[in-house]
Amino acid sequence: MSSGQVTKRVKYKTSVKDAGTPGRLSLVKERLLFRPNNPNSASKLDMQFKYITNHRYTKEGSNKAPMLNLTSNQACRALAPPVEAPNLGASSQVPSEQPSRDDLLFRARLLQDSSELQKLHQQFVGGGVLTEAEFWATRKKLLEKDSNTKSKQRGGLKSSVLGESKPLIDGRTNRVTFNLTPEIVREIFSEKPAVHRAYLNFVPSKVTEKDFWTKYFRAEYLQRSKNIAAAIAEAAEDEELAIFLKPDDILANETRRKIRRVDPTLDMEADQGDDYSHLPDHGILRDGSKEVPEPGNELYRRTLLQDLNRHAAVVLQGTPIDEEQLKDTQTVAEALERSKQERSTASKDDDSMADQERLKGISQAMTIDDLRGSNDHHLAPLWIKDPRDYFDSQQASSFRTSMEATKGSMSSQEAYGLLRESISQIKSMGLNHPIVAPEVAQKVLSVLTHNISSTKYNLGKKPGESLLDSLPTSVRDELLHHHISIEELMKHFWSSYPITTKYLNTKVIKLKDEMSKMDSQLQKLKETVQPDIRHQITLLIRPMQQALEAAMQHYDAEQQKRASKAREKPNGYS
Amino acid sequence: MKFQIEEVTVYFPYDNIYPEQYTYMVELKRALDAKGHCLLEMPTGTGKTIALLSLITSYALAKTESPIKLIYCTRTVHEMEKTLAELKFLHNYQVKHLGAAAKMLAIGLSSRKNLCVNPKVSSAENRDSVDAACRKLTASWVRSMAAENPNQPTCEFYENYDRAAGGAVLPAGVYTLEDLRAFGKEKGWCPYFLARHMVQFANVVVYSYQYLLDPKVAGIISKEMQKESVVVFDEAHNIDNVCIEALSVSVRRQTLEGAIRNISRIENEIDRFKDIDAGRLRAEYNRLVEGLALRGDLSASDAWLANPALPDDILRQAVPGNIRRAEHFLHVLRRLVQYLKVKLDTDKVEKESPVSFVASINSDAGIDQKALKFCYDRLHSLLMTLEITDTDEFLHIQTICDFATLVGTYARGFSIIIEPFDERMPLIPDPVLQLCCHDASLAIKPVFDRFQSVVITSGTLSPIDLYPRLLNFHPVVSRSFKMSLTRDCICPMVLTRGSDQLPVSTKFDMRSDPGVVRNYGKLLVEMVSIVPDGIVCFFVSYSYMDGIINSWNESGILKDIMQHKLVFIETQDVVETTLALDNYRRACDCGRGAVFFSVARGKVAEGIDFDRHYGRLVIMFGVPFQYTESKILRARLEYLRDTFQIKEGDFLTFDALIDVMNIELTDRNLNQRQAAQCVGRVIRSKADYGMMIFADKRYSRHDKRSKLPGWILSHLRDANLNLSTDMALHIAREFLRKMAQPYEKTGSTTGRKTLLSQEDVEKLGNNGAQEMLY
Repeated sequence: MSSGQVTKRVKYKTSVKDAGTPGRLSLVKERLLFRPNNPNSASKLDMQFKYITNHRYTKEGSNKAPMLNLTSNQACRALAPPVEAPNLGASSQVPSEQPSRDDLLFRARLLQDSSELQKLHQQFVGGGVLTEAEFWATRKKLLEKDSNTKSKQRGGLKSSVLGESKPLIDGRTNRVTFNLTPEIVREIFSEKPAVHRAYLNFVPSKVTEKDFWTKYFRAEYLQRSKNIAAAIAEAAEDEELAIFLKPDDILANETRRKIRRVDPTLDMEADQGDDYSHLPDHGILRDGSKEVPEPGNELYRRTLLQDLNRHAAVVLQGTPIDEEQLKDTQTVAEALERSKQERSTASKDDDSMADQERLKGISQAMTIDDLRGSNDHHLAPLWIKDPRDYFDSQQASSFRTSMEATKGSMSSQEAYGLLRESISQIKSMGLNHPIVAPEVAQKVLSVLTHNISSTKYNLGKKPGESLLDSLPTSVRDELLHHHISIEELMKHFWSSYPITTKYLNTKVIKLKDEMSKMDSQLQKLKETVQPDIRHQITLLIRPMQQALEAAMQHYDAEQQKRASKAREKPNGYS
Repeated sequence: MKFQIEEVTVYFPYDNIYPEQYTYMVELKRALDAKGHCLLEMPTGTGKTIALLSLITSYALAKTESPIKLIYCTRTVHEMEKTLAELKFLHNYQVKHLGAAAKMLAIGLSSRKNLCVNPKVSSAENRDSVDAACRKLTASWVRSMAAENPNQPTCEFYENYDRAAGGAVLPAGVYTLEDLRAFGKEKGWCPYFLARHMVQFANVVVYSYQYLLDPKVAGIISKEMQKESVVVFDEAHNIDNVCIEALSVSVRRQTLEGAIRNISRIENEIDRFKDIDAGRLRAEYNRLVEGLALRGDLSASDAWLANPALPDDILRQAVPGNIRRAEHFLHVLRRLVQYLKVKLDTDKVEKESPVSFVASINSDAGIDQKALKFCYDRLHSLLMTLEITDTDEFLHIQTICDFATLVGTYARGFSIIIEPFDERMPLIPDPVLQLCCHDASLAIKPVFDRFQSVVITSGTLSPIDLYPRLLNFHPVVSRSFKMSLTRDCICPMVLTRGSDQLPVSTKFDMRSDPGVVRNYGKLLVEMVSIVPDGIVCFFVSYSYMDGIINSWNESGILKDIMQHKLVFIETQDVVETTLALDNYRRACDCGRGAVFFSVARGKVAEGIDFDRHYGRLVIMFGVPFQYTESKILRARLEYLRDTFQIKEGDFLTFDALIDVMNIELTDRNLNQRQAAQCVGRVIRSKADYGMMIFADKRYSRHDKRSKLPGWILSHLRDANLNLSTDMALHIAREFLRKMAQPYEKTGSTTGRKTLLSQEDVEKLGNNGAQEMLY
């Protein structure tokens, strides 16, 4: 309605008996528009109000299908019966806009994408607290079509090298075990196209999957042990093994292609191609500044450094395979192959475009920012799909270290053990003076009260540490869910005030019931959690309860006011 | 903006200008007015290049009666591209404000490898094979053969270019290498030969140092440059090294073996020619008798690398009689190679002067000095006569002839050093006979003599008075500029202890200590989690970097680093390093963030900028050391001592002098290579910011630290001189937070302006620049 138009899903009939054309009727400032769902359909309507001479509509509450009958002075009678409009006459406060099929689909997808949203939807819409329309009315932003296109954000590859995970070496049986998951397979295949090709060619026609990977890891093992002589010897005997040890020819081709499109302002290969002072044996060979490369067998040399560069390049490039496809090796191999083909056909046209873009970027980068009068930076909007996830993962590592640091002190079990020990000592030896060794007492006391005092002192002191992270995950999830639910309720509750219509009144009543339910749930949660974290939980729950209370109080006050008003009114007027 | 410097209207493509840039331009203009050479030092991050380009192009626009040409020399091709990008920006601005009058032709020139568009040729692996592949298609005899035999392959791009003849010109504009290639492809003309042809007509030529300094290349490319040119050497702090390298040759066992193969091949060719076309060899002999080493009308495509000796030193005489006949010349070469082989077969270091070396060749191998001197010309003539196109196969014999020519030509300024092995690896025999030039002024002398103004400029030229002595010239202007910063945008720190408070160092006895390795790793792990975008790490050597990365990988530190940023590493393979750098930049651009591991003396440290978000933090792990015991360095120091005419006193003072010289020189090296090159390239403008961590306990000592450039030292606070990892982390956090705050760009709050507007500059022009700024 903000755009000044009302849209309804209707059927368009030229006469009462007509079957009708389904479509959408939109009401704008000075005209009525009908667009059929089927764009080829001939029945379109574009009628300005000034041409309408008469209109009739079915009475509210009648059993007949609601219908709007328009008569225009152009002697054309148009019938536009709304398909489903249970409360056509309701006030404009009701978000009565009917979602189209696309919208519904889009909402469904949003729900699918975010489990949090789904839970909320289920709880409130499913529980009848909110209507579908109300639920989405507060999420207009999500529904904007702009974000729709952008929302295709996929998780990238992990930065750390999976394939480099160390093999388990069993010294007794002299056996080396490598672990392989579809994720690792994906990494190996995308980083080593030759292995990928070999897999597609040989498995399962020539060798079994197991043999294939055994050979692969055998080669890897030889590589890593830097036993070049052994590697050469084995490769000479086994040609499949040799494939894994040889330099990757697909990669070499790709490198050659890429080096041509590299940013010219850092192209050191071009420098080399221009350097005539360093013709072989020209210039000064040993002035102490250059390093002498180690001689080695070039064919079988692949260093960790190269692997790391390759890995980072692949991560940066991103993967075309979704998580769903990470089932088994065969699927991964095939999916990768498919996407590679797609990419190679698609990228040919993009390449030149991308090059142009890059060159423009280079000349942009050459300019000196602060000398320009006005800077018209084109900033890309930050788009973090799940902010909590993002910031939590940032904290995770720093938190872990701080946890380790605090582990230094005793656990409550240990302290309890100390206490028991001294009790049994007393039992056997009778009471001494002093009854309890003061050191022991000190320790026990400090440890047992540690939890209380620590939260008091440490809470909010360390930026990297969050109270939530110290809770068990189930409790944490529950808490977070409650928090979000309450937030949602509050949003709806406060936006309903001032209550002007009956509709809002019923909504508020429904919300209030739900709120009291939530309150009791919180209370229950507080009681059921482990005693040692109850204090923290209480701290966390308190603001939620306060919010609920404030809302309830407001509700009660309003209710009283209304009641007294209702009483006053007849008095006042009489 | 547009402003006046005396009578010249300067077109500067920005709305504001740094005061340093303004004074730089004023000084430069005085040097141009005086038609003399100048030496200008201005720290990086002050927009030196754009100041230079806008002043010189504006100067040329103002003095239309005597047009000057700008020859801009960069060290590398990628710097050339950067310069051309800035020039393009400037040119667009000038054309917008002046119209067609400002139009100029500016081209970048490089080798065939970087310019060739013929797919068959450019697919060749390295520079020399591209050159050879080109000659195979474009040499004059190949083309005349193709005229008779249609099956003979030629290069269509060259043929088209040749057919277009005078019509083949570049329209005005600024051409990068990529632009040249695109233009060549579009027109079907060879971009390499087109560019070489256009060099004579262009207003601005940008190419690498060697095209002017190395006689082998300069002899072909830069022969016909007008005197009214301004030559600029940018980033010239290493120019003396380029000069001496251009005149140095080294001979190894592989060279000699290759040369012997080459000689046999030539012999076979001669026999073949004797059978089919004996007249040709006779014609060559006659030509040599007449005193012409080469046919006068060499077509551009035939030209090979030119004489290694400087043009003034080449004798314009007939080739001596004893090497005129091809067979005789081959015999001489054989004896020379044999002699060198015997010389190389030594087990101790020998040092000789060229004079005694030539004398012993004469007595032992029977080759006189004059014959040696003509070796290059004679070989070149022979190869042309034999119509040899695969020049890349003959590089070995060419090296020998270059060596012979240089030894025969120069009696002083050179020495010959034979080392049986690299002193750092005494167990691996790898004898090298090195003819090394000690006198940087030799190679650059023709440039100073030929051109009206030569500008030598860089971020670090200190001590600035050493350069005129090293290069033997008299600058009319010699100035060093300081940089005024609007805020403390650089934050150098010295880290001496790790997180466990134990000292860190790459000193020999400590470098393999696992504690140090771990502390270095922990430092990086902490830093990657707080510093945004790009981080660059420098290690003291490849082997050290390799070792430390492997042990970080094993201990899981690398994994922790990779949780926050992608890791890219410089390797000894240039192609791979280039791709890694490219990816590193992409990762910084897209916000993922990355770490680049590099080597303090590697190619990356020498020339790649890590400005803006490409380098918010530079960590220098350890102190890179210069191998000062190098025989070649020692010989050079001795030579410099002699030419500086320092009187030799008793041994002690002499030794001390050597030490002084030594420190002076290595200091310069340390300055430039270690600090100015590794950490000094993080600032692009006054709005930029960056941190540097020197992670070694030795940096806390004054003598090591004082070798850092002054502009870094001036920002190194005493409190930051002796930090441990946690303290450094705290400082880094604070610094980054401070830098994120908005600030007054013009610096007017601090009293002295660090950014000038149009108005300010006009005021300056009226009042006289000096009074206001200093």
